Amino acid sequence: MLNQGRVNHFGKLEMAFEPRRGFTRLVHVYQQPPLKASRELYEGNHPTATVFIMESSGGMVAGDRNEISVKLAPDSQVRLKQQSALKIYPSHTGEFCTQAITVELDERARLEWLPEVTIPFERAKFQVDTTIHLKESSTLIWGEIVAPGREMRGEIFDYQAFQSKYKLYVEDSLIAFDSFHFKPQDMNFSTIGLLEKALYIGSLWIVAPQVQHLNIRDLQDRIQLEPSVQASVTKLTDQAIHCRWLAKEQRTLHKEINNMFEYISTLL
Amino acid sequence: MKLLKDVSSSHLNTVDTLTNLSLLHLLQIHDSAFPIGSYTHSYGMETYIQEDRIRTKEHLVEFCQVYLEQNLVYGDAILIQEAFHAAQARNVTRLIELDELCGAMKLAKESRDASVNVGKQFMRTVAPLMDSPFLLQWKDHIDQEVVKGHYAVLYGIYCEALGVNVFHAVMTFMYATISGLVQNAVRAVPFGQNTGVQALHKLLASVEEAAKTVKTLTLDDLANNALGIELASMKHEFLFSRLFIS
Repeated sequence: MLNQGRVNHFGKLEMAFEPRRGFTRLVHVYQQPPLKASRELYEGNHPTATVFIMESSGGMVAGDRNEISVKLAPDSQVRLKQQSALKIYPSHTGEFCTQAITVELDERARLEWLPEVTIPFERAKFQVDTTIHLKESSTLIWGEIVAPGREMRGEIFDYQAFQSKYKLYVEDSLIAFDSFHFKPQDMNFSTIGLLEKALYIGSLWIVAPQVQHLNIRDLQDRIQLEPSVQASVTKLTDQAIHCRWLAKEQRTLHKEINNMFEYISTLL
Repeated sequence: MKLLKDVSSSHLNTVDTLTNLSLLHLLQIHDSAFPIGSYTHSYGMETYIQEDRIRTKEHLVEFCQVYLEQNLVYGDAILIQEAFHAAQARNVTRLIELDELCGAMKLAKESRDASVNVGKQFMRTVAPLMDSPFLLQWKDHIDQEVVKGHYAVLYGIYCEALGVNVFHAVMTFMYATISGLVQNAVRAVPFGQNTGVQALHKLLASVEEAAKTVKTLTLDDLANNALGIELASMKHEFLFSRLFIS
């Protein structure tokens, strides 16, 4: 039972894409505030549909829930971008904000989810579950950034809890399970082995048939251009790669992860 | 009668039942002469050593403490516990899921490969020593590539077959892993033997506490908060020269 004086937001966004007459179209969309999708945007005659995901409430408050579902029919090509950083407000009631993202890519479908920042404010409690199902012929490039809080306001790891579970399936085989559960009051992030000197976490997930032709060492050389950032690349399977960054500055990390994102995007 | 706290989907009594013989079996498999190749893996620690970030006993203890509390407890240890219970229930489907989960959690390729290679070597070594049809059935699954054969899941199955309780299974695995890291640091930094002995001695109480923590955890608690160690494992693959495979 809720013990707060406001109605919790339950944002829902369902999107289904399929190719029609040479372009990928958003053929089904169901949106429940505060979540909303833009109409499709195109660059010239390129068939890829770019859609912005908008969160009109300005951020999630305790007890809020967002559910985002994305389905790509065979041969669809989609770029999704959150319009702004996801802000998680302080939990005055002790409740979590929760978000669930489910993605299904059919044969030869391609999805790019551009990296955006999640910012848990002071005393925020957030849990996000992301589940992605792909076919062997699908292509996925997915980026994420987690901030320590509103760094410019001096909020660094002042949130209560941040829980993230990211599951990646190819043909029903679980190839990656990335799970972290941060409780800053119980953890010393600066210690060796945890985040050390870093404040920001960046992740990139790349799955595509062409990954097997990529030179992992070349990618490693490319990812380590910025000395203030700790970063590395690893192969999950012959068709999947994971990149991780630990960074002190958001701006630098954003630049690095976007560079890698665009580079990989042009290769695949 | 006081009910035990339910700590798993398949709850079991974990009262101490460590017999002399099963204790001796555990001592044997964790002896440094037991050939499963633990001495060839640093699980990312070598990256820190090459970056000159593990130079003292205190550094080593701090690294091992984080590896224990933020990697092992919320990763392999939970999987051992779950595998032990699944083996007790003869639930092969569950064990196959756990093996897949174990591989999916180890994002760094070298750590994932190490888990499989040590597991396979362990199976090759213990299978002739055990009279356990269930363990041999798991070996068939590995041989037929139904599963990868990750060490943590296999260790849970083995300990259940051995008749030790799940608490000791988890605790000995964590002790052996930390002991292996310390011994590898002694060779790689290098430290004197006494430094290694003192570091491990300092960590013993933490190993016991960690094992108690694992009793309260389930698969929902699986997490890898040790992102620095994970990144070091990823970077290890690209080091110019290496003493260790992982």
